[in-house]
Amino acid sequence: MPKERESRDLFPGALELMILQTLYRKPMHGYALAQYIKAVSDELLQIEEGSLYPALQRMLKAGWLESERGMSARNRPVRVFRVTVAGAKRLEAEMSSFEKMFAGIQRVLGAETA
Amino acid sequence: MPNGPSGMHRLGNSGRVGAAMRWFGMFSRRRRYEELAESMREHIGEKVDELVSEGMPREEAEFAARREFGNVTRIEERSREVWQWPRVESLWADAKYALRQMKRSPGFAATVIGTLAVGIGAAAAMFTVVDHVLLKPVPYYDAARLLSMRESDGSASASFVPWLDVGQWLKESRSFQEIAFSTTLGRQDFLEGATAATHVNGEQVTANLFETLGAQPELGRGFLPETPSFAPGKNTGTIVLSDAVWRSEFGGDRSILGKVVRINETPYTVIGVMPPGFRYPADAFSNRSAQVWVALQLGPSDAQRTDRPPQYQVIGRLRRGATLHSAQAEMATIQKLVAAQYSDPDDRRDHSEVVLERYGNSLVDADVRKALLALLAASGVLWLIAGLNVTNLLLARGTARQREMAMRGALGASRRRVMQQMMVEGLVLSGPAALLGTGLALGSVKLLAHELSQRLPLPVPATPDGRILLALLGMTVISALMSTAWPALLALRAPIEPALRQGGLQAGTGRGQHRMRAMLVAVEVAMSLTLLVACGLLLRTIYTLRHVALGYRTDHIIVADLSIPSFRYAGKNMLQMLYMPMLGRVQQQHGVQAAGLMNEVPLGNTFNILLGLRMDEGSSSSGAKPGASITAMLKPVTPDIQRVFGFRMLAGRYFDAEDTPTSEPVVVVNPAFAREYAPNRSNPASILGMTMWHLQENKPLHIVGILERERQKSVAEESQPEVQVCLCQITPASSFYPIAEGIAMDLAVRTERPTEEMVPELRDILRQASPELAGANITTMDQIVEDSYGSQQLAAHLLEIFGGSALLLCVAGLYGLLAYVVTQRTREMGVRIALGAPRGNLLWLILRQAGAMLLTGVAAGVGLAWASARLVRGFLYGVQAHDGWTLACAAALLFLSGMLAAYLPARRAASVDPMEALRAE
Repeated sequence: MPKERESRDLFPGALELMILQTLYRKPMHGYALAQYIKAVSDELLQIEEGSLYPALQRMLKAGWLESERGMSARNRPVRVFRVTVAGAKRLEAEMSSFEKMFAGIQRVLGAETA
Repeated sequence: MPNGPSGMHRLGNSGRVGAAMRWFGMFSRRRRYEELAESMREHIGEKVDELVSEGMPREEAEFAARREFGNVTRIEERSREVWQWPRVESLWADAKYALRQMKRSPGFAATVIGTLAVGIGAAAAMFTVVDHVLLKPVPYYDAARLLSMRESDGSASASFVPWLDVGQWLKESRSFQEIAFSTTLGRQDFLEGATAATHVNGEQVTANLFETLGAQPELGRGFLPETPSFAPGKNTGTIVLSDAVWRSEFGGDRSILGKVVRINETPYTVIGVMPPGFRYPADAFSNRSAQVWVALQLGPSDAQRTDRPPQYQVIGRLRRGATLHSAQAEMATIQKLVAAQYSDPDDRRDHSEVVLERYGNSLVDADVRKALLALLAASGVLWLIAGLNVTNLLLARGTARQREMAMRGALGASRRRVMQQMMVEGLVLSGPAALLGTGLALGSVKLLAHELSQRLPLPVPATPDGRILLALLGMTVISALMSTAWPALLALRAPIEPALRQGGLQAGTGRGQHRMRAMLVAVEVAMSLTLLVACGLLLRTIYTLRHVALGYRTDHIIVADLSIPSFRYAGKNMLQMLYMPMLGRVQQQHGVQAAGLMNEVPLGNTFNILLGLRMDEGSSSSGAKPGASITAMLKPVTPDIQRVFGFRMLAGRYFDAEDTPTSEPVVVVNPAFAREYAPNRSNPASILGMTMWHLQENKPLHIVGILERERQKSVAEESQPEVQVCLCQITPASSFYPIAEGIAMDLAVRTERPTEEMVPELRDILRQASPELAGANITTMDQIVEDSYGSQQLAAHLLEIFGGSALLLCVAGLYGLLAYVVTQRTREMGVRIALGAPRGNLLWLILRQAGAMLLTGVAAGVGLAWASARLVRGFLYGVQAHDGWTLACAAALLFLSGMLAAYLPARRAASVDPMEALRAE
């Protein structure tokens, strides 16, 4: 049986946040999304398909995303995901809370080294 | 993998999915799934295209893309779960799957469910009874601290206690918070109503009894605190009613307080009503709940120890912190001083020890307790057998499904998921079994209620206890879960590949597993044999009991057990006023051949009179024991009772019309009496003509007849010496009169007419004779005999059920196992036949396997039965606990049924068509 690995390298909500942010800029399909995050993060972040698809389904269910027909980079007709109004609001809220948290973490880490 | 690369290009036809569709949730789920699958296919397709454009050959690219993506099914499944109520839905799917499985092999499902149901039902029924009788504390506050206090001479029997002894305990003991005592009010107590009087159980109690028991009246008050005294006190003339009496006699009228009621013509003022369900003593047999309590006042006879002082039932509440053990030690010290005050050495010995026992325990006699525990053990064994059987069946099926498990694993099912599915299957099987078992338990408790009520001092509940049922169900469900999960676990741990390989080794032939299953069958056989042997012993006991010559007829006799309202006949002759007119009317009834009275019919165990007499010295002839003291049962009868029961005479005559109050007083004795007291032991008839002192002043009793041997108190016991005397010769002047005629009497009627027809007519006559008699307990002599088999009958019935079920389960288990083994070895059989093995050999091969399991089981079972026979010894009559025949028969029965069960699969193995078998799979 293939060993199953959960994405544990991200904190909860991070994957969703990145997906929202990415798709907010431009609706994409799954593969392009994964490739984009990988490329933008200089291959530091690799989204596993095993995490990506359940996450997409969760967000579809929550109403943050919707899917529509579109074209891939290679001109294949594909299903692309687009951020809804609710999704955009969510992104905004998440971003500000994420920034606060991130600032907090940085201060703590900075204090330790100081 | 279901989809080739070409599938990836297929486009969904679902079009744009609006956000609104979200709200349809469940309904649009199929479309969601399709979209999901498409997205994933597109994903892989895109990747492939990219790799191809980078110059990789398409085939290689497809492979690489897939490898990178991972387990499609698994990811798809996990993504789908987002849309589900994950747990519930997968559980539901599993349940549906399990139901389909059940439908596919209904025989298997029925066997498992039936087996579990039998196990649960039997155990729940027995647990209910045992819990109720043995474990449940008596219904008093903190009942564990209530001790019954009795005296004994150090032997097993203990007796109630005279006042002077209790008084000393009260003064000197420190272990008890309260000590209360009581005695019955009268011989028969009748509460007088407007038209008739009702039979109640009156008890004289000390003022602190209710406090000792931790009970308070529901209405009004209890007795005022006072110490037992010889003079009338604050509580004299007051009475507390039980709830049952209050409701049935006074319609639950709350204004009853302060009113005067009469018991046996004595007036009492009602001061309180106890709460529903309160009883004391808790073992009051007749009219169980109809109780009344009055304050006890000591009398002159309580002030001495020498001339048979009244004896009291004593109950003490342990002080907090005191234990049964510490109380025992203290009482032993005190009792030395108490015993020293008895001048007679015999008396001193009789009062030498104090017996303390938890009050709850004192209510059930040791025999019944042992019987119940033995039966409980038996039902537990049955439950175990059922459990083993099901485990074995599920194991066998589990191994047969190894392939299925492997396939699921290969398709990406996680181990947890498969376990969950198997456990749901276990639940689906054990759920109906639990329901069915509950039904069985309900039914059997109801069926047993009558027999139990003959044996047990407490009312048996009509329904099994909820907690017990729940516990059993829990255990059963857990065991079912374990026996389904275990094979699944084994299957999952096994490597997938060999199980899936076409034509590979067939599953489940692992030596270890097979040996374990064979062992389970052997254990089952051994336990079943134990039950069968116990059942066999009981059946032989019942058979022997039924063939004991009773010495009288029991057919066509109706018996009414009368409590005599003697208070109505004070100063009158009850024979003239009550008995003769009543008998006369009964005899005139159509279809009545004979009717007679007897204080207690044989085996009735209602009311017996023990007589201490002395042989008349003057009458003794050679070899007699002049002046010998005689202890015998005294049975006052009317002459016609002989025609009712068909008593036969060994020598001499029975009573007849010539015996009158004025004629010479005569008695008839039984052979046990003659053997004991005849001047010439070898010739019992030599007792005829002897005389005994004295029924009436200066009128010696002449022995005129010896009855044939009869069974008096129980079918299994030899009779005690018995003296029958004609009722008409016991006149009010005689000192026997109040006891012989005024307490209880059985009316026995011989009639050819059906009982149900006769009973209302009899009740009419009884009511006319005295309104109090109308409620008499009326039954048939056959029923009395039947009831007298008592615990044996009960044990036999239960063990028949347990033993029969065990045998069935065993046979079913063996059959099930072999049937599976044969199915699994079909190929092997085919090969053997193809290679020229005679079919007889194959038959023999399977039978030998069954025989080995059976023999192992039987051998172990013989040992087990031998060891456990001790438990049933107390029930046996006319057969030894280690009865070789019974053991051999039970073993043979089990072995033969087992072999029969094995024959069917064996024949199937032998008739395998090699072509078919080798082609299969």
